[in-house]
Amino acid sequence: MSVVELVKKVLFMEVLQGLALTFRHMVSPSVTRQYPLEKREPFPGSRGLHALVRDAETGKERCVGCGLCAAMCPSQCIHIYTSEGDDHKKIVDRYEIEVLRCVYCALCVEACPYAALTLTDHFEYCGYTRDEFYYTKERLLENWDKYMAGEKGMNYIKNFWRPRSSDFAAPSPERKGP
Amino acid sequence: MSVSAMLLVFIKTILVVSVFLIHVMYVQYFERKVIGHMQSRMGPMRVGWHGLLQPIADSIKLFFKEDIIPSAADRPIFYIAPIIGVIAGVSSVAVIPLWENFSIANLNVGILYILALSSIASYSVILGGWASNSKYSFLGGLRSSAQVISYEIAMGLSLVGVMMMAGSANLNDIVKAQANGWFIVPQIIAFVVFFISALAETNRVPFDLPEAETELVSGFATEYSGMRWALFFMAEYAGMFVMSGLAATCFLGGWSGPQIPFMGTMSGLIWFLMKLYMFIFIYFWIRATLPRYRYDQLMGLGWKIFIPLALLNIVITGLVKIL
Repeated sequence: MSVVELVKKVLFMEVLQGLALTFRHMVSPSVTRQYPLEKREPFPGSRGLHALVRDAETGKERCVGCGLCAAMCPSQCIHIYTSEGDDHKKIVDRYEIEVLRCVYCALCVEACPYAALTLTDHFEYCGYTRDEFYYTKERLLENWDKYMAGEKGMNYIKNFWRPRSSDFAAPSPERKGP
Repeated sequence: MSVSAMLLVFIKTILVVSVFLIHVMYVQYFERKVIGHMQSRMGPMRVGWHGLLQPIADSIKLFFKEDIIPSAADRPIFYIAPIIGVIAGVSSVAVIPLWENFSIANLNVGILYILALSSIASYSVILGGWASNSKYSFLGGLRSSAQVISYEIAMGLSLVGVMMMAGSANLNDIVKAQANGWFIVPQIIAFVVFFISALAETNRVPFDLPEAETELVSGFATEYSGMRWALFFMAEYAGMFVMSGLAATCFLGGWSGPQIPFMGTMSGLIWFLMKLYMFIFIYFWIRATLPRYRYDQLMGLGWKIFIPLALLNIVITGLVKIL
């Protein structure tokens, strides 16, 4: 051990360096965000709660019940029940998502040919029962009204999910079968 | 002793102990804040303004928690172990002079009294670890006994230099002997040895081997819960206060300091508390900085470095005193 090393050891130089570091951190501002009080805007395109797109023209869902989303879903949490209506038209009776099983991969959104489904940027949802997270068609449409109202929703779809609706024809009330 | 004198001592005791316990309660808030900010966090923020009521919320929670006693525990010892620690910690305050000529007991052997009580406090850890009948607690207790034995010697020897310079073991006399200069300057070796031994004696990081969360779950306190666990921690913090108070008294001149205007004799108390809290802050600062020592390193440091250093300090002090 050289003399310099010995002096350093006697004067606790390394310990003092460590203490100086922690002291610097003490006087520098903390990085904590006081969550419920200071909320950060979610990043655009973040994947939160699901919503069914409400068509601006018809006021109904755009979903045609093709079932691609349910087929694609890795956690198999989308349940679609359809029936045959007048004119051999496919009617979506029930469209249900078990949100608690969802892994937010957004493959359903990518699979949808009509841009009828999206993930919103709403991420703070909680409840006391599992039933509260079983979203029916009506509640999914409500989510669209609540979190994606106005221009926001369609901009969200166009900017962050590849706009399949521009590749394919958007469904219209006059469309001829699926 | 007349009845009125006894009554006076009784009132003094109640006052000092209650104020002391409030300090013990709030020093945990101070610790969480200091360590939080050192880790770029904020510490408690939600209970009251900047979390100021957090210690009260914690005490209420701990008070009403279930008191779990392991079925294999040695019950009587399990019950009394935390109480021994608290009693030893709190009664040590009696001899520390808080301001000029004020200490509950002006004992001639003040330093020895505090050293004796701090050894008794280590019994609470050892007995608690033994009585829990769990391997983690047992290892924690064993480590504590070995650690306290080795560091108590160094601590006692380091204070011998102070006693030689003051010519007394009475803490009031030691403060008065520092009128011409604090003992930290001539006794710097003793101060370093004392401070590091005090860290080990109170089981604080980097010598928190009896607790060692990363290895022993919670060491001696693993099987304790609720109020009994809180008593262990009260004892630990009380020990910290006593050791900081002893360091302030023996090396930094205790209550002595320039008169603060309009405070009268209370200025002594303010100086004493400032010095004491400086040491407490250093305890927390070290806790936020250093990792835990390995067991053999701890032993090597105690026996091979601090005890010879403390002996050397005694020799040097004696030689200077003779010449």
